[in-house]
Amino acid sequence: MKFKTHWYLILPLTFGFVAALLLNYTALPNPVLYLRADLGTFLFLIGAGASCLGWITASFVQRLKFFEKEIEEKSVRDRRKFLSLLDHELKNPLTAIMAGLANLNDGTQQETLHSVEAQVQRLSRLVADLRKLSDLETRPIEMNGVNLPVLLEEVFVLAQSRAGEDRVLNLAIPKAPWPLPEIQGDRDLLFLAVHNVIDNAIKYTKPGDTIELRANEEGSQVRIEIADTGPGIPASETSQVWGELFRGEAARGIPGSGLGLALVQAIIRRHGGQTSLRSQLDKGTVITLTLPTHGVTEL
Amino acid sequence: MDQPAAHKILLVDDEEAITENLSAFLKRSGFQVVIAANGQQALAAIGDESPDIVIMDVLMPEMDGRQALRQLRREENWIPVILLTQIGESTERAMALEEGADDYLNKPFNPHELVARIKAVLRRAKQGQPPLSAAWILTSGKLTLDRRSKKASLDGDPINLTPKAFSLLEYLMTHPGEVVSRERLLDTVWGWDYPIGTRAVDTRIAELRSALGDNASQPIFIETLPVLGYQFIHDVWVGK
Repeated sequence: MKFKTHWYLILPLTFGFVAALLLNYTALPNPVLYLRADLGTFLFLIGAGASCLGWITASFVQRLKFFEKEIEEKSVRDRRKFLSLLDHELKNPLTAIMAGLANLNDGTQQETLHSVEAQVQRLSRLVADLRKLSDLETRPIEMNGVNLPVLLEEVFVLAQSRAGEDRVLNLAIPKAPWPLPEIQGDRDLLFLAVHNVIDNAIKYTKPGDTIELRANEEGSQVRIEIADTGPGIPASETSQVWGELFRGEAARGIPGSGLGLALVQAIIRRHGGQTSLRSQLDKGTVITLTLPTHGVTEL
Repeated sequence: MDQPAAHKILLVDDEEAITENLSAFLKRSGFQVVIAANGQQALAAIGDESPDIVIMDVLMPEMDGRQALRQLRREENWIPVILLTQIGESTERAMALEEGADDYLNKPFNPHELVARIKAVLRRAKQGQPPLSAAWILTSGKLTLDRRSKKASLDGDPINLTPKAFSLLEYLMTHPGEVVSRERLLDTVWGWDYPIGTRAVDTRIAELRSALGDNASQPIFIETLPVLGYQFIHDVWVGK
């Protein structure tokens, strides 16, 4: 593609240059031309020339943008492919290790065995999360009417039981003048998305912090926000938190696979929505999930 | 371990690490184990060793598990087969049951779970008869399930089910009389674990029950077993 664009520019230029050389330095006739035009025609030609130039520039810029987008999409695809290969390659050794461990169960070193088993469990969870991520790209999504208020309340109750007494959890769902509209989607996946975000909030906040789950309707969209008064995310990390296997500075020592938010983003995107994040260090974080109320037109 | 008739298992996987460790475990669990490394070898071993059940990986060189299974069923060989599915892809899981596998497990799995599966499949299998999972149409009383067109009907009237509820009913109906845990249903029907886990299953079961007009306290089809899970209690047969 790029190759061709070059030739459009180079060929006429080369032709002109070669012709000029021939006419100037050989015995070929090289008459002086007087081109005359009235001002009107002249201005028209200038305008047409400028248009041509503008058109060439615009199409060039557009092509450049297209390539950039292509490269970005390809890198996302490559990464996903890599992750699904990784998931695949991890499965067989894990299966063998689990079978091997089951054989060892009558040994004396129970403590060592338990700790190895725990690590195997952890690896299995990572593999399961990797699988979810690649599965999400390909599996058809069930599109049914989802009652958001009920779903959010369920997530909230689950979060309350996980967080215990020492964090303040608030739920704000509008009931007046009308409740949140029904949205089209896969209930289990949407549940997982909201759950993952609020679970993160619980993990990274300390006793005494506040976590809020709120939602509102905005035109043809529903915004779900999960806000916390936790440690916040450094500006250098905010753009990376949605990436696969990314774990921030603060995540050290906190269990997790680094796939939680990547999954959230994949789920919301498949529902035709968007994710965003605002955060201030030492003040807190708010994650916003925006979903269209009338579902996705194209899957 | 000298029970009179220890069941003979044919274990098929191209990964030696798996066949070695798994066969040791299965032998300790009281089975006889024969090993094959691909579909071709498996077909030969089924002829030579006449095992009671086949545990087979899907992705293998030369002939994969899917092809081997298809060939077996084409020859009307109804030996019980448990497939070890490789990828979490829902298509592969759906394929496993459609091609006539008796059951399937996602890798990696807990070997104890495999033994539980083997026992359940052996209990259910009737010598020389196709498993319910190899049939396109299943009937249970007034309930008919057409697995090809993904439609269910009660007394001839079509009932509306979401795809997930349909898969759930399909799994329960192909495993009648078997106690299936919520975790197992999640793993097979949803394909991955959910934080809501058990609750997602309960919601779908409730949806199924109301569609089937089944009463939870006096069920005709699906019974809840406290803690353990669910069980399809009505007889199921092949065809209309």
